[in-house]
Amino acid sequence: MKSKNYSENIIKVFKKDGFVLSESDVLLDSDYIIQRSGENFRKLMLTFEDDTGKSMCLRPDLTVASCIKYLKDNSKANSKIFYSGQAYRRSNNPKDKIINDQLGIEILGSKNKSIDDLKVFKTIANSIEKIKIKNTTIKVGDVSLFQKLIESLKIPERWKVRLKRHFWRPQYFEDLLNRLETNSDVDPAAINLDKKKFSEMKNLDQSKEIANRKVSEILSRFDRKIKDPRSFTENKKIVKIIREFLKINCPISKLEKILKSFVKKNNLSNIVFKDLSTIKNLSKINSKTVFSTNFGRDIEYYTGIVFEIYNSSKKEIARGGRYDGLLKSLGSKKNISAVGAAINLNNLKT
Amino acid sequence: MKNLITIGLSSKGRLKEGSISFFKKNNLKLTSSGGERNYFAQIENFPNIKIIYLHAKEIIQRLGDGTLDIGVSGLDLLSESRINLQKKIEIKKKLDFGMANLVVAIPDDWIDVQTVADLEEVSFEFRDKKNTRLRVATKYPNLTNSFLVSKGVTQYKLVSSLGATETYPFIGSSEIITDITSSGKTLKDNNLRILKDGLILRSQACLLFSKKKAAKLQPFLNSLN
Repeated sequence: MKSKNYSENIIKVFKKDGFVLSESDVLLDSDYIIQRSGENFRKLMLTFEDDTGKSMCLRPDLTVASCIKYLKDNSKANSKIFYSGQAYRRSNNPKDKIINDQLGIEILGSKNKSIDDLKVFKTIANSIEKIKIKNTTIKVGDVSLFQKLIESLKIPERWKVRLKRHFWRPQYFEDLLNRLETNSDVDPAAINLDKKKFSEMKNLDQSKEIANRKVSEILSRFDRKIKDPRSFTENKKIVKIIREFLKINCPISKLEKILKSFVKKNNLSNIVFKDLSTIKNLSKINSKTVFSTNFGRDIEYYTGIVFEIYNSSKKEIARGGRYDGLLKSLGSKKNISAVGAAINLNNLKT
Repeated sequence: MKNLITIGLSSKGRLKEGSISFFKKNNLKLTSSGGERNYFAQIENFPNIKIIYLHAKEIIQRLGDGTLDIGVSGLDLLSESRINLQKKIEIKKKLDFGMANLVVAIPDDWIDVQTVADLEEVSFEFRDKKNTRLRVATKYPNLTNSFLVSKGVTQYKLVSSLGATETYPFIGSSEIITDITSSGKTLKDNNLRILKDGLILRSQACLLFSKKKAAKLQPFLNSLN
């Protein structure tokens, strides 16, 4: 089947399942994208400056472009959309294409989590069936389980935030675990030196700003840091729990049981992994699906379920997941839940 | 002349002095036909070698486009340049002058910030509480980007600076800076402090050459110690 026929057939399935075409802008405000993805993303974008000095870019990704359109249109309702078009990204690797065809669906303003997760997954599975790709394998992860685990652990709040924040950067995350394990982020010698300065600064006008930070802000963070209540043995235990959790890799049908024994073994609260509704639904569709807690760590905006579907030669042909924070990071005042997935057309061509 | 070799040297400062004495040590005496401000020179008894004095940054550019065959410039400037430019240039030798470090520096009074990990936390506070991103002033955007991101600092915005970067945090142009420093005195005099693990790059002067011209240049390059 040719690529064009693939797209046509997939779009037929999208429409049948109630998704409506959304045509997003090709040109976007670069700052929007940088806000979400950070400064380092800039080198992937094709940017130029308009006459007013504003930096614009070609849309690097259709999910982000569709979300921006959704916000711009001020859509209030649950919006089931599909997109089909080109996304533009620069790469250091000359073999990579700059122009990529993207085809996918999104449920923006998703109200019912487990129903919508399932809907997206089913529509993608139906599309793949429609274009007659067989012997696929599925891998699933759920980022929210990791977040729930961290919430339940007895570590200072700043460490919880930090571990959740850097789940996406496996290498740096490993650094963090090492530091947590050895308690090596607070240097006693330096702290003694700074305590002197601390008392001096207490006498300053507390609302005075030093490089955009109030004296009070600096002192209160310093105080919080040196009072960081952690014991060495406790930390080692916690790091062990996190590492063990991230090794869970099993058929999806066994996950509930495995999590239960994990909770019991580590004396965690019984309600840590309470909500497994989406997992249970996916398990009913295909019990051979593999679940891995370590999966989905390469795209920062996922907040819940993450899945990938591979063809018989192990190439990824579709991926998707829940991303409840993306619309807010793009400027929405309230939280807007969303779930979506895209077909990788390049890997469908054989 | 067919075997003409063009060498670019820095036109001012420590790099210029160091380069001249490097050549002198190799018994190569630089002579200039014009006045003191002339940008061209020769090497005594080597009529096929032409010396050009130019900006250290430009030496890298010109090695890349083939105008220069050999150059002496800083490792910092080479590492900061675009990847495809770097691919065209090779380091023959690191020289024992022009030592300087590219570092992350913060206002000394930020006593709660000692490490890059602290900075990462503060940068997220900026985003969450002030709804802006921490601004980092620098002359080295590429090196700064890869360093910060590798250390988990992702919430920041670069402000490009052409000079006197040390003033930026105190005139409201940025919160922190990255800059090149040899003794650390300028930073200290301007109430800035280097983060404990804030070393981005250890730089020094390097003898560089254009890869494309390698064959022609080897005999001369190998004669230098």
